[in-house]
Amino acid sequence: MPAIAALSVAVSGIATLLAALVAIPGALWIVHGRSPVRGALMVFFAAGLGLPPVAVGLAVAFALWRSGPFGWLDALYTPGAMAFAQFVIVLPLIGTLAVVAMRGGDTTLPMQLAGLGIARRHRLALLAREVAPGLAAATLAGFGRALAEVGAAQMTGGNIEGQTRVLTTATMLAVGRGDFGQAFSYVAVLLGIVTLATGVALTLQRRWA
Amino acid sequence: MTARGLLARRGTFVLDVARLDADSSGTAVLGPNGAGKTTLLLALQGLIPATGEIERPARCAAVFARPAVLRGTALWNISTVVRRVLGATPADADVRGHAMLADVGLSDVAAADARTLSTGQRQRLALARALGCEPQALFLDEPFANVDADGRPALRALVRSYAECSGCALVLATSSLADAAALCKGAVVLQKGAVRHEGAVVTLPAADDIYVKALFSEYRVTS
Repeated sequence: MPAIAALSVAVSGIATLLAALVAIPGALWIVHGRSPVRGALMVFFAAGLGLPPVAVGLAVAFALWRSGPFGWLDALYTPGAMAFAQFVIVLPLIGTLAVVAMRGGDTTLPMQLAGLGIARRHRLALLAREVAPGLAAATLAGFGRALAEVGAAQMTGGNIEGQTRVLTTATMLAVGRGDFGQAFSYVAVLLGIVTLATGVALTLQRRWA
Repeated sequence: MTARGLLARRGTFVLDVARLDADSSGTAVLGPNGAGKTTLLLALQGLIPATGEIERPARCAAVFARPAVLRGTALWNISTVVRRVLGATPADADVRGHAMLADVGLSDVAAADARTLSTGQRQRLALARALGCEPQALFLDEPFANVDADGRPALRALVRSYAECSGCALVLATSSLADAAALCKGAVVLQKGAVRHEGAVVTLPAADDIYVKALFSEYRVTS
């Protein structure tokens, strides 16, 4: 159980962290950039909100299949493949919520910072700092979604004991065997992790706000 | 600071100013609501798209009518901007921040969260933040609108003194003739995005223009 829980946190944590590293600068670009194509990224983020994990899992599994375009990576049924699939799943969620957080702030602040002669890269850093609590909430939501999804983890990880078995796939297997006691214990750990992460995020938000 | 053939659009509003000059003696931009005062200031700073020739110093700073503050203490609001604009060390920026807060009468709230300050205090803070950047051109948009009447003379004197000592060009958009007279020698009066009248602030009452006269009588009531 501890190894399964640790792998769940590691895979979903890495996927969420990488997604946040891409989504938050992307959201900054959407809200404060000047390029006309930034609207396309927003459409991608918004459209991706409803992306079924099973569809992402299927696409990633197909791409990594031995005869698939990235089969040479030999990455299917590894934690890396699971993390990549979860990265794709949570990227639009974190990006959309980050955009919402940034648009919810003082709309005159970007112009006022520019009016003080602050260089653009410093302005963006200050603007990101202003909405840090909202960005933390967006990242937490992404972590929750990554941790809870099962379709992509099953398809790209294969639920191999000791290698790619995570809490959600282990729960499915336990239910399949009729071992509801074991299934409930997995779910209890899953809820515990989500509750702990929420508590940490709320504490950080209170300190930042 | 000079501007020639300035043309800017904001939605359906068009600003068309043939010429505007400003130096440390100050230029006041007057006019009723919607005349284009704020649009002119933003265009001069390059904060909204505009065409025309604008020559402005490298280091400009602005105080907006509704000043936005950053999440953090009043002191941090100044020091973090000073660090980024002037490249000052954190220690030097803090020293400067304390000095600026003292100048605008906010020393007692240096450690307070800037977002909890009153609107008038935020305006003082915004002025301190702008002056802390040692600008060569200062753009003020109704900078004392929410400051209590007793506090205005000291703030006007602070800005006037800074402009005289540093040679900083001053552009003030205001509806207060008292602020205009205290800070600026020159004035332009806008009407629907165009310059209706220009001259010295002190000559405005005697201007031979029915629009300016009507405006001026209104200012007398409100200022």
